[in-house]
Amino acid sequence: QVVARRRLGGPGSSPPTCRSKCGRCGPCRPVHVPIQPGLTMPLEYYPEAWRCKCGNKLFMP
Amino acid sequence: LLFPLASPLNDEGKTLKSIKASFSNVANVLLDWDDVHNNDFCSWRGVYCDNVSLSVVSLNLSNLNLGGEISPAIGDLKNLQSIDLQGNNLTGQIPDEIGNCVSLILLDLSDNLLYGDIPFSVSKLKQLELLNLKNNQLTGPIPSTLTQIANLKTLDLARNQLTGEIPRLIYWNEVLQYLGLRGNSLTGTLSPDMCQLSGLWYFDVRGNNLSGTIPDSIGNCTSFEILDISYNQITGKIPYNIGFLQVATLSLQGNRLTGKIPEVIGLMQALAVLDLSENELVGPIPPILGNLSYTGKLYLHGNKLTGPIPPELGNMSKLSYLQLNDNQLVGGIPAELGKLEQLFELNLGNNNLEGPIPHNISSCTALNQFNVYGNHLSGSIPLSFRDLESLTYLNLSSNNFKGSIPVELGRIINLDTLDLSSNDFSGPVPAAVGDLEHLLTLNVSHNHLDGPLPAEFSHLRSIQIIDMSFNNLSGHIPQELGQLQNIVSLILNNNDLRGEIPDQLSSCFSLASLNVSYNNLSGTVPPMGNFSRFSPDSFIGNPFLCGNWLGSICDPYAPT
Repeated sequence: QVVARRRLGGPGSSPPTCRSKCGRCGPCRPVHVPIQPGLTMPLEYYPEAWRCKCGNKLFMP
Repeated sequence: LLFPLASPLNDEGKTLKSIKASFSNVANVLLDWDDVHNNDFCSWRGVYCDNVSLSVVSLNLSNLNLGGEISPAIGDLKNLQSIDLQGNNLTGQIPDEIGNCVSLILLDLSDNLLYGDIPFSVSKLKQLELLNLKNNQLTGPIPSTLTQIANLKTLDLARNQLTGEIPRLIYWNEVLQYLGLRGNSLTGTLSPDMCQLSGLWYFDVRGNNLSGTIPDSIGNCTSFEILDISYNQITGKIPYNIGFLQVATLSLQGNRLTGKIPEVIGLMQALAVLDLSENELVGPIPPILGNLSYTGKLYLHGNKLTGPIPPELGNMSKLSYLQLNDNQLVGGIPAELGKLEQLFELNLGNNNLEGPIPHNISSCTALNQFNVYGNHLSGSIPLSFRDLESLTYLNLSSNNFKGSIPVELGRIINLDTLDLSSNDFSGPVPAAVGDLEHLLTLNVSHNHLDGPLPAEFSHLRSIQIIDMSFNNLSGHIPQELGQLQNIVSLILNNNDLRGEIPDQLSSCFSLASLNVSYNNLSGTVPPMGNFSRFSPDSFIGNPFLCGNWLGSICDPYAPT
C-alpha cells in the first residue's frame, strides 16, 4: 500500500501516477481525498490521502 | 389457525434474551426479539445466523439509541464473527467475557458511553481484524497484550481518556494498517519502533500528552500516508530524515518544535497537507517549498519565522490554504502569489510585512478570506479588488494603508466581514458599502474618515456590528438606521456627528451596545424603548445633549 514512489537513493516523494490503477476505467487521475477520523471538531480539517479517480470511482493507487 | 406450540429457545436464543435484558430503551427497536411470538431468533432484528449451523455469527445493533449495558452473556456466543453496537448510548464496562467470543473478526463499540479499562481479555480474540472503541469514556492503559492479535488491521481507540504509554510492542505488527489514538491522555515518547509498522498507512496520535523528540529514524515509516502527531508536547528539531516519508498529510502542529524548517520538505511532492503551525520554528521559509506543486494546504502560522515570504510560493499551483500569520516575516507581499488561482484563504496577519498589496492578488479569483491584519503595509486598496467576487472576509486592519475607501468595495457582494480599522484611510465612506447586504461586521474605526454616515447603511439588513468610532464623521445620524433589525453594536464615538439622536433607533430591538459619546449631538436622548438600557457612558462628551445623567444640560441631579 505504499502510495508515493521513493526517488531512488534520496529523500523526496511524488504523487502516485495512477497508471492502470482504475481497472478498465479511464482517464485515471490522482486526487486528494479527505480521510475522516471519526467525530471531528468543526474547525479541524480532515487529513488527506491520495487516491486514483475515474469518473465518480476511487481506486487505491 | 393457531400458532404452533413454540418450541423452547436453545442456549443461543436464551443468551440473546439475556443480552436484551441488560439493554434499556429496547421497547421499539428490539420489539421482534420476542420468543413468545417468534422463536426463530435468526430472524430477529440485527441477528444473523450461519445457514447451516443456525448459530449466531453477527450482531448488528448500531445506531438504535440503545441504553443500558453489554451483558457478560455475550461471551456465550462462541461463533460470533461480528459485533457492531456503535452509535448507541451504552454505558457500563466492556465485559471481560467478550474475550470468549473467539471467532470475532470485527468488534465495533464506538460512539457509546462505555467506561472502565479495555479488558485484557480482548487479546484472546485471535481472529480479530478490526477493533473500534473510539469515542467512549474508556480509561487506563492500552493493553500491551493487543499485540497478541496477529491479524489486527484496524485499531481505533481515539477520543477516550486512555493514559500511560503507547506499548512499544504494538508497533511490531506487519498487518496493522490503521492506528487511531487521537484525543486521549497518552504520555511517553514516540518510539523509533513505530516504523516497524510496515503495513500501516494511518498513524494518528493527535491531541495527547506525548513528549520527547521525533525519532531520527522517522524516514523509515515509508508505508505511512498520514502522519498526525499534532497537539502534543513534542520538542526538538524536525529531523532531516522526515524527507524520506511518502506521506500525503504531515501534521506536526501544536507542539514545541524548534530549529528551522528543513529544506528537504520541499522535495516531498506527495504532500497534500503540510501543517507545521503553532510550534517554535525559527529561520526563513525555505524557498524550495515552492516546489510542492501538488500541495493544497500549507500552514506555517504561529511560529517565529523570519525573513521574507518567498516568491516561489507562487508556484504552488494547487494551493487553496496559505496561512503564514503570527510570525515575524518581513518584506513585501510577493506579486507571485497572484498566480495561485485556487487560493481560498490567505492569512498573512500579525507579521512585519511592509509595502503595498500587489494588484496581482486580485488574480486569485477563488479567494474567500484575505487577512493582512497587524502589519506595516501601506499604499491604498487596489481598485482591482472588485474582481475578488468570492471574498467573504476582508481584514486590512492595523496597518498604514491610506487613501480613500474605493466605491468598488460595494461590488464584493458576498462580504460578511469588512475590517479596515486602525489605518490612515481618509475621505468619505462610500454609500456603496450599503450594497453589501450580507455584511455582518463593518469596522472602519480609528481612521481619518470624514463626510456623513451614509443613510444607505440602512440597507445592510444582516449587519450586527458597525464600528465607525475615532474618525471625523460629520452630519446627522440617519434616521433610516432604525431599519437595522439585527444590529447588536453601533459604535460611533469620537466623531463630529451633529443633530439629534433619531427616535427611530429605539426600534432597533437587538441593539445591545450603543456608543455615541464625544460627538456634537444635541437634543434629548430618546426616552423610550431600548434606550433605557444604555448607560450615560454611551452619551457623554456631547455638551448639548440632554439626558438622565450627572452634568447633562438638563441634569436631573443638578441643584436648582
